[in-house]
Amino acid sequence: MKKASKKIILLGHFGVGKSSLIRQFVENTFTSDYKVTIGVHILKKEVEVAPDENVSLIIWDLEGYDDIKKTRASYLLGTHGFIYVFDVTRPATFENLKNDIDYLTNQYAKTPLKIVGNKADLVTKTYLKENANMFGVQPNFFTSAKTGTKVDELFTTLAKELVK
Amino acid sequence: MTEADKLALLKDLLLTDERAYAESIHSKIKALEEVINEQKRLSQKVDPIIDERLDEFIEEIPETLGPTITEALAEQIKNSKDQVVEALYPIMGKMIKKYISQEINLLTERINQQLEDSFSANSWKRKFRSWFGGVKEEELLLSELAKISKVEQVLVIEKNSGMLIGQYAKAETIDKDMVSGMLTAIKSFVEDAFNEQSQNLELIEYELYHIHIQSFVSFYIAVAISGEYNLTFKNKIQDIIFNFTDNFLNLFDDLSQIKEEVITNELEFYFSTNEKSL
Repeated sequence: MKKASKKIILLGHFGVGKSSLIRQFVENTFTSDYKVTIGVHILKKEVEVAPDENVSLIIWDLEGYDDIKKTRASYLLGTHGFIYVFDVTRPATFENLKNDIDYLTNQYAKTPLKIVGNKADLVTKTYLKENANMFGVQPNFFTSAKTGTKVDELFTTLAKELVK
Repeated sequence: MTEADKLALLKDLLLTDERAYAESIHSKIKALEEVINEQKRLSQKVDPIIDERLDEFIEEIPETLGPTITEALAEQIKNSKDQVVEALYPIMGKMIKKYISQEINLLTERINQQLEDSFSANSWKRKFRSWFGGVKEEELLLSELAKISKVEQVLVIEKNSGMLIGQYAKAETIDKDMVSGMLTAIKSFVEDAFNEQSQNLELIEYELYHIHIQSFVSFYIAVAISGEYNLTFKNKIQDIIFNFTDNFLNLFDDLSQIKEEVITNELEFYFSTNEKSL
């Protein structure tokens, strides 16, 4: 069986649910207790991307920053994929979305990136549709770490892109 | 039109193409023959001249091309500093380390000379064991030190991404991919925190365990050691690491292309065959 390892990094403001998304993906659990990530936390999960082909995702959960430029650059070195997470209910976490995404795509032009609006269980689908322009950039996924909606799909889609 | 005319016309119609084709092949063969004969004749005349010029050229290389080669090398080194450092690091490191180690040995010998007359209970015990066992006292001392140090795990990690390139462990431990990532994060954090890009984190200590970290340009090697970690042990570990990188890893341009099992086997070879001397 073919097996590769890929490093992916989750970025975004404080409290947008980066750690919860990873916990839901890796351990299938969710807790509403908020624990701030300090520095970095690393988790791993194997994903099947094709029959007889697995990818080992080494997921780096970085502490949240209001300004993406303050993220420790050495943590981002050699990354194979990025996931940028924002909270659909907190405008402060997506008001600079376009700038942050521009920064990432300029700095790491060849690295695949997925933009994720998390906590989608707290709003209705109609609300997301009607306010699609509000985020400045079209997100790739609207997820819910609480209910697990689109979480597996997010990581699996990125994993498949990384082995293309 | 007579019968003969008709026959001639038919002949023409049937055979003109073939004849033209046969003629063209004939002329091509002739041209080839000429080329071959000409070349043979030419080479008989020209070869000795070329050989002579070549000999002269070889003799003149140091004088004529020397400065150009030196300049090209200097430029190449300037442009590919990382690769050059990667290739030279183990050799230079080893040379410098050997020299310093020799100097320290000399110093140790002089200190030992001065301490020879000191009487401690342990030294008397060792002296007795040495007398009755017929083993040199220094060897007993070394073996006492060796007993308490052991290599538990070796990880070869890509410096930037923290991805595991290969590993060797005596017993299965916790997830090595995650350990590699966390070690890299800790290393980056410490190195960033002191704002010293040229300095590397070299040792992590926790009670009975030590993680010796040997940094290279594009990767680093982390060795988890249980028990005593002293200068002699560090020296030996570094020797094994330099041998391993020099004789094995440096043979590859892209480390990610080496299969993990191959690295594991090599690490096992280098670390377990040297275990007795550790």
